[in-house]
Amino acid sequence: MSAAQPSSPPKYRFADLLAEPAVRKRWEQVRTYFFLRESTYDMTNRCNIRCDGCYYYAGDKQFAIDNADPTVWRELMRQEKARGITFVVLAGAEPALVPGLLQACYDEIPLGCIATNGVKRIEASVGYKIHVSVWGNDATSLRVRKQKHMLEKQIDNYRGDSRAVFVYTFTRDNIDEAAPVIEQLSANGCKVTFNMFSAPEAYDGLLRHTEETLARTRETMLELLERYPRQVLFSPYSAVAHTHKLGLHALYSCPYPRMNPSTDIGLGRSFRQYRSDLTWDRAASCCVPDTDCVDCRHYAAGSAVVTSKLYRHATAPDTFKAWLDYVDTYLAVWVTGYEKGENLCRGLVDPPHGCGA
Amino acid sequence: MSAGINEKDLQLRVAQIIITELKLQDITAETFDPDLDLVDEIGIDSMDLATIVLVLQDEYSIKIDEDDYPKLRAIRLIAAYIQERLQAKA
Repeated sequence: MSAAQPSSPPKYRFADLLAEPAVRKRWEQVRTYFFLRESTYDMTNRCNIRCDGCYYYAGDKQFAIDNADPTVWRELMRQEKARGITFVVLAGAEPALVPGLLQACYDEIPLGCIATNGVKRIEASVGYKIHVSVWGNDATSLRVRKQKHMLEKQIDNYRGDSRAVFVYTFTRDNIDEAAPVIEQLSANGCKVTFNMFSAPEAYDGLLRHTEETLARTRETMLELLERYPRQVLFSPYSAVAHTHKLGLHALYSCPYPRMNPSTDIGLGRSFRQYRSDLTWDRAASCCVPDTDCVDCRHYAAGSAVVTSKLYRHATAPDTFKAWLDYVDTYLAVWVTGYEKGENLCRGLVDPPHGCGA
Repeated sequence: MSAGINEKDLQLRVAQIIITELKLQDITAETFDPDLDLVDEIGIDSMDLATIVLVLQDEYSIKIDEDDYPKLRAIRLIAAYIQERLQAKA
């Protein structure tokens, strides 16, 4: 324990931050989900497309030999549940190619999410949230993902499916495509959230953001949030956190094991990232392995990084409201059945003092 | 205690706050073992701990450093930490 130095109590009491009924209500709503404990799992090393800047094919994990036995996966899920995991993220390379494994996971741990390219539909019996990755319009998808009519296929597969959230990833060169793509998704009743391209380690391609494209992305996100408030699951503070010139780690201190040596409590203690052969390596564990941590503004990372910093945001009314909006967004994007409320803080709030800003 | 709070009373109050905030059932402040490991044996996570810390800060008008969170793993340790902070303030 550190030597006790006299220090002033916080300027705002926590009770004061909760005094406004709408804030108290939102706090009580989101805190019921504090039981969520996540880990992530690569399901297979196979994919039906090849994308420029793909995280999965950036590191060693692509060479893992798949364990494709549903019985073994089911047993893994039981073990995960026993060590306290309540939420699974099924990702790389393309989970839709192994439907039997998805079902085995869902049968054991019913809260979770699947990251998919959306080309092949996942059966309705798997009740996880489904994140369909969108990287621009069809011309861009053809160029970056070598897939024709990508958006059309994705919409056809998931139109009217309450599991689906389309995740538009802003790269350096698709910012202006976002508006028509979101318009198309919105016209089809699809829910959308935003992601930021975060360079894989050693990536030297043209998708990495610059300060200018970060600023332009923020403007675009805010415009689209304003224009499609029912379809776009996002908040002004989400835009601030993910388009800041500093990455998430510099701003908030990433709690994932890869950047956090502590095993005392939280993600540093419980989070694992399994490869498709069901091995895991603490030193490599984070939500999107092989991302360059300095450039990480990934939506999945932020969902834990920003959310876990309750204490740093309980410092002033607007900062706390902004954090609540962020958590509300995170839950609506990731948790089946959670409905996003109206954002409580419409202004742009800087990341709090002590967050590196 | 120089800060004027009896150690046992402080432990009971901390226990009550934990019970209330985490909505724990089948346990009272009196039956809550002050040496129980809150992480290993109760299963609290970082968000639970942050919530408890915020309420304790309100209750005792002290600041609890974020770096100290992982060490606040039992009621006895939390009570001792608060006592230390209160004494430093006095």
